[in-house]
Amino acid sequence: MIKIENLHKSFGELEVLKGIDYEIHEKQVVCVIGPSGSGKSTFLRCINLLEDITDGAIYIEKVKVNDPKTNINEIRAEVGMVFQQFNLFPHMNIIENVIMAPMQIRKMSRANAEALAHELLKKVGLDSKAYNYPEQLSGGQQQRVAIARALAMKPKAILFDEPTSALDPEMVKEVLEVMKNLALEGMTMIVVTHEMGFAREVGDRVVFMDGGYIVEEGTPDELFGNPRNDRTKAFLGKVL
Amino acid sequence: MDLLNLQWEVIWNYRDMFIRGVGITLLLTLAGYCGGIVLGLMLGLGQVSTKKWIYWPCKIYVDLVRGTPMLVQLLIIHLALFPTIFGHSLGYLASGITTLVLNCAAYNAEIFRAGIQSIAKGQMEAARSLGLTHGQAMRKVILPQALRRMIPPLGNEFIALLKDSSLVMVIAAPDILYASKVIAGATFRPWEPYLFAAFLYLILTYTATKIIAFIEKRYSNSYIPRKAKGRLAR
Ligand SMILES: Nc1ncnc2c1ncn2[C@@H]1O[C@H](COP(=O)(O)OP(=O)(O)O)[C@@H](O)[C@H]1O
Ligand SMILES: [Mg+2]
Repeated sequence: MIKIENLHKSFGELEVLKGIDYEIHEKQVVCVIGPSGSGKSTFLRCINLLEDITDGAIYIEKVKVNDPKTNINEIRAEVGMVFQQFNLFPHMNIIENVIMAPMQIRKMSRANAEALAHELLKKVGLDSKAYNYPEQLSGGQQQRVAIARALAMKPKAILFDEPTSALDPEMVKEVLEVMKNLALEGMTMIVVTHEMGFAREVGDRVVFMDGGYIVEEGTPDELFGNPRNDRTKAFLGKVL
Repeated sequence: MDLLNLQWEVIWNYRDMFIRGVGITLLLTLAGYCGGIVLGLMLGLGQVSTKKWIYWPCKIYVDLVRGTPMLVQLLIIHLALFPTIFGHSLGYLASGITTLVLNCAAYNAEIFRAGIQSIAKGQMEAARSLGLTHGQAMRKVILPQALRRMIPPLGNEFIALLKDSSLVMVIAAPDILYASKVIAGATFRPWEPYLFAAFLYLILTYTATKIIAFIEKRYSNSYIPRKAKGRLAR
């Protein structure tokens, strides 16, 4: 469903992604792990063109994303993104956060958008907070709203960039729980994470990145149980 | 004060000129400021554009205007630009308002630019990742947040413009200061008219300060409307 071919990305002189080839199939949950600075976020951000690509190609359902003729806004509307820092819109209450994009982009009526939003907020367990403001919510609650906001666009896939890294430990679980349920419903997900337990339990594939390359890739059992590459072994030795 | 032998009836005798002067000052300031907001917003947005052909003209305009005295700009427009374009000079209102708009816009542009850039990058990214265009993201996400932060500097700019509008006196626009000058000349009494002009400006700026403080207070600190806060408290 998402195909990445020979992806290179440089920031000026610094080459951060040095040729990535990968394919993500529909309904797959792909967890991306690796040391800090290895290019995980950049990889994710290239997929919906938050960073422009230096070389290579990305296809989402056969549509070349980095083609000048492709309407990037249409692509982004189909691929949700959840950020480490939540990035809720602080001047809107929770339900407005969720309905804004469907109303602006999908031209959904307010009534329909609100019905959808309530349904999604129920799903992430926060319908009671619909009329509160982001600053009144805990980090874990804000991140769950951010997931509902992404879902409101009915995306074909969602990209998660360390969704629990900014959270206090006691809130990590509630967010992972929501993500796990999404995975069970068949959402296609790419998750950059340091939660090895989540990667092992929920991931269909685990990708280990280091130094701008995908060093190793496999099922959770293969990668965690029997890593072949020395760098993978060293990394897992540190984090497990 | 006895030494100066102030005769305040001079002011009363020429009250019509002062009333008109206040009107002209307010007209110039308000028109200049409103135009300066609209043009300043466009220039400010231009200065955060990633397109070079938009960015550079806006940046150069803002730097040129901010780097030269308003008095020089006023004289260029009134004595050189308009006569060259139209074949004769236009009235003080046209020249005065044009200068104030063009000048105020450059300063407001900087306020808009700084305000927009003060909003965390993640806000724009979150909006774009949902599929919003740059324009939609600006309108729905960035500007509503940035505008709050801009209220204090935009207020300062209004007060600065109110005072700077007195420069139009040099093109004989009958504003507060011009009235004082005429009266001082006619009566040979410099103290009363100029002191009174200062007093009028002080009243105007003081009133403006109060109004700005009220607006600032309404929109400060929290994004949560007072109504919603009450609901939560109960
Ligand atoms: N906008 C940017 N400009 C310059 N360098 C960047 C930028 N974003 C990321 N980098 C650099 O790219 C490298 C990879 O970053 P990132 O993708 O964030 O890694 P990770 O998410 O794996 O920690 C880092 O060295 C980082 O400093
Ligand atoms: Mg990262």
